[in-house]
Amino acid sequence: MNLLMLVWKNSLRKKIRFSLTCLSVMVAFFLLTTLAGIDHALNISTSANNQYRLMTSHKISMTQSLPINYQQKIATIEGVEAVSYVSWFGGFFQNEKNQLGITAVEHNSYFSLFNEYKILTEQLVNWKNNRTGIIIGQAIANKYGWKIGDKVPLSSSIWMNREGSFSWEFTVEAIYQTEDVATDDKRMFFQHKYFDKARAYAQNSTSWFSTKISPNANSDKVIAAIDNLFANSTSATRTTTEQVFIKEQAQQFVDMAMVIKVVLIAVFFTLLLIVCNSMIQTIRERLNETAMMKALGFSSFKLIQQVYLESLLLLATGAITGCLLANLTLAQVQQKMADFLPGIAIAPSYYFDVALLVALAAAVCSLFPAISIKRLAISKTLGAR
Amino acid sequence: MGPSGMGKSTLLHLIGGLDHPTHGEVHVGGERIDHLSEAKLTRWRAQNVGFIFQSHHLLPVLSAQANVELPLALTPLNKKQRQQHAATALGLVNMSERAHHLPKELSGGQEQRIAIARAIVSDPKILLCDEPTGNLDRKTADEILALLAKLNKDFGKTIIMVTHDQKAAEYASRVIDLEQYINSTDCIGNEPPQKSLEIN
Repeated sequence: MNLLMLVWKNSLRKKIRFSLTCLSVMVAFFLLTTLAGIDHALNISTSANNQYRLMTSHKISMTQSLPINYQQKIATIEGVEAVSYVSWFGGFFQNEKNQLGITAVEHNSYFSLFNEYKILTEQLVNWKNNRTGIIIGQAIANKYGWKIGDKVPLSSSIWMNREGSFSWEFTVEAIYQTEDVATDDKRMFFQHKYFDKARAYAQNSTSWFSTKISPNANSDKVIAAIDNLFANSTSATRTTTEQVFIKEQAQQFVDMAMVIKVVLIAVFFTLLLIVCNSMIQTIRERLNETAMMKALGFSSFKLIQQVYLESLLLLATGAITGCLLANLTLAQVQQKMADFLPGIAIAPSYYFDVALLVALAAAVCSLFPAISIKRLAISKTLGAR
Repeated sequence: MGPSGMGKSTLLHLIGGLDHPTHGEVHVGGERIDHLSEAKLTRWRAQNVGFIFQSHHLLPVLSAQANVELPLALTPLNKKQRQQHAATALGLVNMSERAHHLPKELSGGQEQRIAIARAIVSDPKILLCDEPTGNLDRKTADEILALLAKLNKDFGKTIIMVTHDQKAAEYASRVIDLEQYINSTDCIGNEPPQKSLEIN
């Protein structure tokens, strides 16, 4: 018999209470971990490069176009290394349920800015030489069984071509690979030059510009310089870092940072209330045993240590199962939301935070029982029973 | 001995360092204990005193063996040594066969035997017994009293017992009637007695 065994046996004395309390802790940590996974996706870089990339869109809305000739003007700003432009195609395959992340990109510059998409040089050259060529992600190729040379009919919910149709035909010229989970492997790219000529309206315009700045440039200054350059034009711009842009897109649906803060506070209070209540009840039920252990020579510190370990066991069991469950759920969510929000995952440092949270919560939950133990009068307690 | 409310249990608790006196001093085995800090008193109790109460207060989640081993968790003994000591104590109270039973699987007399084994396992000099046979039938009570007498005679344990039971008192080498003692002192109202009580 050792004292850890006593902690274990005492914890499981009321199995139903232990299980229900554990379940509450598990739900709390499940929510916390799930939200942390989504928050991680909002905060990580889609690539190591994107801290040097800016996005410039119309000041009023992303749906408003900007003139293509802004590319040359932005390129003259100090600190800018390269500029490319992109238009959202709003495409799908066969029916609108099969939405695809298709963009028309300036073919000469785009992939020098976005080198996280790994494309064979030969395939890239072929794509540049074929104006109806399209580059697809490996995941898309796998999903639809498309291969190099395949003719792919795609539709747009936004853009009509000069033939009056929303159907567009492309030839798969390249399949790109990705090296890290944060990079979306379900994107599709075709030439903006072809897009501009073939679409029925809005020629010489684009949805946004992507700008690469030099590593020693001050991004705030470059952002201000770009927006100042077009401040008095008919199409004023709004420039942000790529990371902020992605975050803003996601926050159109929900302010994740706020939700996480609220959940975190709720989790903390719920945990403290539930586990505190459970531990207080537990110690009240065992007052005579505690008094007897004190009489046997167990110090208050030793007995408080036991209560702390019991709280820790309870919280850790709930936290571990909650985190495991959340990981399984996030893996599923990651698959479903890869187009919209890549990079849903748990950072290893999060588990350190959880461990700290559990240890802290266990200490707080042991506070009231500790006071009871410290104040416990052995003779009165044993005499009353 | 003495009628209820006379302070028998209080006296026992003072000797065992469970209570602090409001007046006066407590000396046990030549050592003054009433002014010891809580931590020192706890250590002193662990080393010098074994308690046997009317209610056994065994931990229901632990087997008889584990209950007896409990005070040894505070000593530097290793697992094997703790088990050996507990087995010896259980043997002394004739409970070796029930070592792996939980308290709920034992009778009242058996539970009290386990409590006695727990009290003697760390080899204390003094055993303080607060009505140890109060919850037992006559036959079982006699067995427990005989066991305590054996611990006194064969192992030299000092046993201080509080009891209402005249039969239990017959086992003692010295009986103090607390009522008679208080009446014999010049105690007035709530003032403490001026004469010290010595239990040799």
